[in-house]
Amino acid sequence: MTVVSPAPTRAVDPRKPGHQHPSFDTGVRSLVVTAVRELTDAIVQIVLEDPAGGMLAAYEPGSHLIVQAGPVRNTYSLIDDGVNPHRYAISVLRRSAPVPAGGSAESSGSAWLHDYVQVGRRVEIEGPRSLFAPVTTERKALLIAGGIGVTPILSHTRAAARWGRPAEVIYSYRAGCGAHRDDLRALAASGAITLHEVHTRTDAAALLSERLAAQPMGTHAYACGPPAFVDRYLELGEAAGWPADRLHSERFEVPPQDAGLPFAAIIASTGARLAVPAGVSLLQTLLDNGHDVANLCRQGVCGECRIPVRSGQIEHRDYVLSEREKADNTTMLCCVSRGAEIEVDL
Amino acid sequence: MTNTSTAEITHTTNLPWPFPDDLTAFRYSVNVEPARVLRATAGGSWGAHIVDLTNPDYPQVMAERRRILDADPGRTQILDGMMPACWDILVYYLRDLALSYPLSCHLAENGDRFHWRNNLLGTDQTFVLGDLSTLPYDPLSFLGREIPDDLLLVKERDGQLFFDAGLVTFAAAWSVSFDVGMNFREIHGPVPRFTGEGLTSRAELFLMHLPTDSVYRRVNWTLSASGSRKLDVSLEELPEWGGDMPRLVSDRDFGNVQLRIELEHFMRLPMSGAITFCIRTFMASFAEIKAIPAWRDQLAQVLTELPDDLATYKGFIGHRTEAVAWLLA
Repeated sequence: MTVVSPAPTRAVDPRKPGHQHPSFDTGVRSLVVTAVRELTDAIVQIVLEDPAGGMLAAYEPGSHLIVQAGPVRNTYSLIDDGVNPHRYAISVLRRSAPVPAGGSAESSGSAWLHDYVQVGRRVEIEGPRSLFAPVTTERKALLIAGGIGVTPILSHTRAAARWGRPAEVIYSYRAGCGAHRDDLRALAASGAITLHEVHTRTDAAALLSERLAAQPMGTHAYACGPPAFVDRYLELGEAAGWPADRLHSERFEVPPQDAGLPFAAIIASTGARLAVPAGVSLLQTLLDNGHDVANLCRQGVCGECRIPVRSGQIEHRDYVLSEREKADNTTMLCCVSRGAEIEVDL
Repeated sequence: MTNTSTAEITHTTNLPWPFPDDLTAFRYSVNVEPARVLRATAGGSWGAHIVDLTNPDYPQVMAERRRILDADPGRTQILDGMMPACWDILVYYLRDLALSYPLSCHLAENGDRFHWRNNLLGTDQTFVLGDLSTLPYDPLSFLGREIPDDLLLVKERDGQLFFDAGLVTFAAAWSVSFDVGMNFREIHGPVPRFTGEGLTSRAELFLMHLPTDSVYRRVNWTLSASGSRKLDVSLEELPEWGGDMPRLVSDRDFGNVQLRIELEHFMRLPMSGAITFCIRTFMASFAEIKAIPAWRDQLAQVLTELPDDLATYKGFIGHRTEAVAWLLA
C-alpha cells in the first residue's frame, strides 16, 4: 500500500494552535491546476490539487471555495461530495452580460479564470467554507438547480448518493447549457437518485409545483440559481405549505439593494459614534474608521462580514442568517444590513 | 512504551489541574482556551496534545472502556444522519494521534484506505472510509476503543445545538442514552446558575461560531461519587456506585475522596460540520492532592467557599466539611 500520509509542513503557531495534520488546513494556500475542461461554451471546470499530493480538507456538501481570480477574490461552489478529497473542482461561468455599474469584480474574476488558468498554474485559495449544508435529520432531500446553480446541488447529490440518503433532483437549464447534465444522469442511472430535467421557465415552475406538493414529511428542499429562479421556488414552496426553515436556498447573484437611510453606529469598546450615510454600508464605514472587519462578497451572501451586535434596531438585508438568527438581533452582516442606533461589539 | 520519558510520570504528573493559580472561588464560566498548549502545574504539566496517552493507567482504562461497551452497547448512540460525522471524528483523531505519538501510533493512507496501528494496545486495523463492513465496530465505537475520551458530537440546526451522537462510558451521573437528541438547553437544565445566568447560551454561541481552523479546550471538575478510581459513575450503573460515598463517610476514609477532572476538547469537523465535545476524565485522590501543598490549599479554599447550591449539584454537600478538614489536617 502506498503511504501518502504527509508530514506536517508547518510548525504550530503557539498563539493559535490549530490542527496538527495538514489535511485540515483551510487557510490561504496555493494549489496547482491539474485539469481544465470546457463543459459548455461558457462554463469551464477547473480542478485543483495539493502540489505535494496530500489530501485536502474535507467539506460539507454545498460548501464553497474562495479563489484568488486574478485581481479579485471570488467564491465558487465545490462540486464533489466533500469526503476526504484529493481535489477541489469548481465550474466557472464566464459572465458576459453587460457589467452593472460598480459590480464588475465578480465577472472580471470569472473572465480571468477562463482566460488565464491552465494546467500547471498555481492558484491561491482559502476554505472551503460551509453555508449551504444538508440538514442531518432530513428524511429526504429535494435538490433544485437553475443554470450554473447546479454546482452546489451536484455536491449535495453526490453526497446523498455516497451516504445512501434519498434525494430527488430538479435541474433546469437552457438546451446546450447543461454543464453537469451527464454527471447527474449517471447518478440517476445508478439508481442513487431521481432526476428531472426542464428547459423553460414555464416548465420549471410547473414541475416545481408538482414536486413540492409530492414530498414525504421530513423532506428538506435546497435550491440554487438566478435570483428570479430562487424567488419563484420560495413562492411555490410557501404556496405548497412548506415551513420556511425547510426551504433552503443559496444565491450566486443578488439584485441591487436600495441605498437605505443614514444611521448611527456605536463601537462598544470605545463608545465612538460613527455616522453611516445613505448609500454607504456599515462595513465601509467600519473599515474607513480603522476597524479591520473581514469581508468578501459585499452582497450579503458569503457571510464573511458577520459581526456581533449588542443593541439597536437592525434591518436585516442579507441572504445568510436564518429567520431565528435575524430575530435574535445579536449579529448582522454589516455589508448590506442597516438599521438605527446599532451598537456593534467591536 | 510511551514516547515521552516515562521514568517520572506518576498519576498526578500530567493531571490537568482545574484551577488557575490565583483562583480562590469557583463559579461556572465559559472558561475555554486554545487547545494543545502545554501548561505547567504544581504537580507537573499537561495539555501538549488533545489526547493524552502517556498516563500509566491508559491500558487499564481502555480495558475498562471495552468491557463496558461489550456489556452495554447502548453507551454508543448515533442518530440518523450522523454516520458521516462518526467517520469524520475517526479520521481526525487517528491522524492527530499518529502525529502526536509517532513511536506508538501509525496511520498509513491511500485515498480512502486507511491502515491504523496502535502499539500501546496492539491494534492493527485496515479500513475503507465510509464502508462500515471494513471495521469490526461503527467508526465512533472503533475510535472509542482506542482512546480514553468520551466522544460527543453536536450538530447545529435551526439555530440550536443538538447532541446527536456519542460514545460515553465515563459519565458523571448522567446517561448518554437518555440525553442523546436533546438540545443544549435541555442537557444543561440541571446545572444551577448556568442557564439562568446566560452561560448556556454563551457556551452554545461559542460552539456554534467555532472556527474551522482552531481547537479549543475547557476543564471542569467535581468530587467523584465514588471513593475509588471507578470512572463509570453513569446513571446506568447507579446501583454499582450509589452506596460508595455513604460507606466512605462512615469509614472516615477521606484520603480516598477523588477529585474528578474533566478535560473537554472542541473542534468543528470539516466533512460533517459536527462539533466535538469530547471529555477525558482524570482522577486524583485527596491523599495524592494532600502531598502537593499548593493543590491541597487551593482545593480546600475552593471547596470551603463554594455556595451550597453548587456543592449540592456536584453531590458533595453532605461530606465537604469533613473532607476539607481531612485535607488540611
